[in-house]
Amino acid sequence: MASDGHPPEPGKKEEVTSTAAGPGANDLDDPQFMCCVCLDLLYKPVVLSCGHMSCFWCVHKAMHVFLESHCAVCRQPYIHFPSICQLLHHLLLKLETTDYKRREKEVLEEEKRIETYSPQIIEFLNSKNNVGSDGDNRNEDSKARPPQEVSLNGSTSDEHSKKIKLEDVSCPLCTEMLYQPAVLNCGHVYCVSCLSSLNEETLKCHVCGSPHPGDFPNVCLDLDHFLEEYFPAEYESRGQKVQFKKDQCNREASSSGTSVRKGSTRALHDEGMLNIHIGVGCDSCGVYPIRGKRYKCQDCTELIGFDLCEACYNSSSKLPGRFNQRHTPDHRMEVDNSALLRGILRHHGMPEEGPEGLMMEEAVVAPGAFLQILVDTQGMEEGNNEGPGEAAIEEPVGAPGAMLNIVIHDQEMEGNEEDHAL
Amino acid sequence: MSGGIARGRLAEERKAWRKNHPHGFVAKPETLPDGTVNLMIWHCTIPGKQGTDWEGGYFPLTLHFSEDYPSKPPKCKFPQGFFHPNVYPSGTVCLSILNEDSGWRPAITVKQILVGIQDLLDQPNPADPAQTDGYHLFIQDPTEYKRRVRLQAKQYPALV
Repeated sequence: MASDGHPPEPGKKEEVTSTAAGPGANDLDDPQFMCCVCLDLLYKPVVLSCGHMSCFWCVHKAMHVFLESHCAVCRQPYIHFPSICQLLHHLLLKLETTDYKRREKEVLEEEKRIETYSPQIIEFLNSKNNVGSDGDNRNEDSKARPPQEVSLNGSTSDEHSKKIKLEDVSCPLCTEMLYQPAVLNCGHVYCVSCLSSLNEETLKCHVCGSPHPGDFPNVCLDLDHFLEEYFPAEYESRGQKVQFKKDQCNREASSSGTSVRKGSTRALHDEGMLNIHIGVGCDSCGVYPIRGKRYKCQDCTELIGFDLCEACYNSSSKLPGRFNQRHTPDHRMEVDNSALLRGILRHHGMPEEGPEGLMMEEAVVAPGAFLQILVDTQGMEEGNNEGPGEAAIEEPVGAPGAMLNIVIHDQEMEGNEEDHAL
Repeated sequence: MSGGIARGRLAEERKAWRKNHPHGFVAKPETLPDGTVNLMIWHCTIPGKQGTDWEGGYFPLTLHFSEDYPSKPPKCKFPQGFFHPNVYPSGTVCLSILNEDSGWRPAITVKQILVGIQDLLDQPNPADPAQTDGYHLFIQDPTEYKRRVRLQAKQYPALV
């Protein structure tokens, strides 16, 4: 919005009014639910623990195959690929039906091309949004909520109130409308105040039971602002209630300071850099890439495969894969070292190009196909008539530096490594 | 050859730009001789800020996007030999938000890049020099630096 006195174009005025009228008034350019990576309508939204969101594929494709990844908006580091936020998915489907269906079609075409699919989300007739297929009992509460509450809406959102109901945006803990919503790694949404009142040692989802790895989640401001605009009356009363509770808590025990930082973004240095499985993520907790032991399914035939990190393997997670794999608990799992950075570097020597090619799409589609990726990168560089030689000499290209770090690190760690060798 | 989201994102960037962009700036994808549009290279113009020595100049800048965009930033180039402490002799702009390892975030839009570079023109960062000429004058001879900047602004008048 850095525009200063630029003559408004014909279409522009319309846009402004529609934005003012309320969120998602069928103008895609309303930035509220726009993915900041593809600049299109969010599709199968994923919310990171910093509270920023992008499309499922936009997040996955941008994740680094062997270093920690960074939020596209705030650069906060993260290593877990969160599950799709079903509440937001259903919200967008109702709010922007036409565009959302268009996105669905486009994405599906691309998925067919790469032969890897995002999770299919089953549509419930009565919008069990915040609740996955496994947690229906909790949903009864929110369904039982009197529907007349909807009529309390401010007049501005009358036309939308048909689309989104309060029960579509309720918190599974307090069963009231979400206030300052925060999204867990599993994609379930809670009021941030409800989450912090849990006081549990490790944050765990009360809907699906998945532990939440990583930092205590921040409020998802985009969703929060939407709720504030859409349900102004409810939002205000919820705000007062939460504030009141907070004051009470503060009086009773001054220990309301929730233990935030859980130290998820473990210092990469503590673990051998070389115990990283390049481009392989855990299908249960979403950690990407897997560090340490990797268990690979021997029976899944999907291109992307099915993998678990050691912790999830040991907890015998029953979650389905993150790419719609038809994995079942009776499949055979085996330790797999084929994508280990250590092995790859030993076998193929240090790649000269640096790791920049690793984030390419191929890495996503065929995890572990390191050699092929390198070849591809070189091909690309040559085809690039920009003259990389000149750039390489006088300008820091960045990426090779990253690799250099590893080399140095490798040497430093060498002594340690031998001790810990598998 | 499609794949990736670079082209989709650039198409959206183009749409957003046409709808609204800061005054005096130009940004358009390259048009090939056969009339097709190459979204991966954008030809832009950055106006020197009013009230600064850069005023009156309309500086041509080329953005080179890679297939990894927006995971990786575009390479931004002024003409070769452009006078500015933070511009490499090749013309490439050295700016934290354009550096993948420090300030780049995929959420940064073309508009923000161009406005950011406009700010950089008059506020060079002496901690991160990229050329000797511009850097030394900026540090040692402010009067000559000023003269060179004004001279350069005259070299790039508005294209009518």
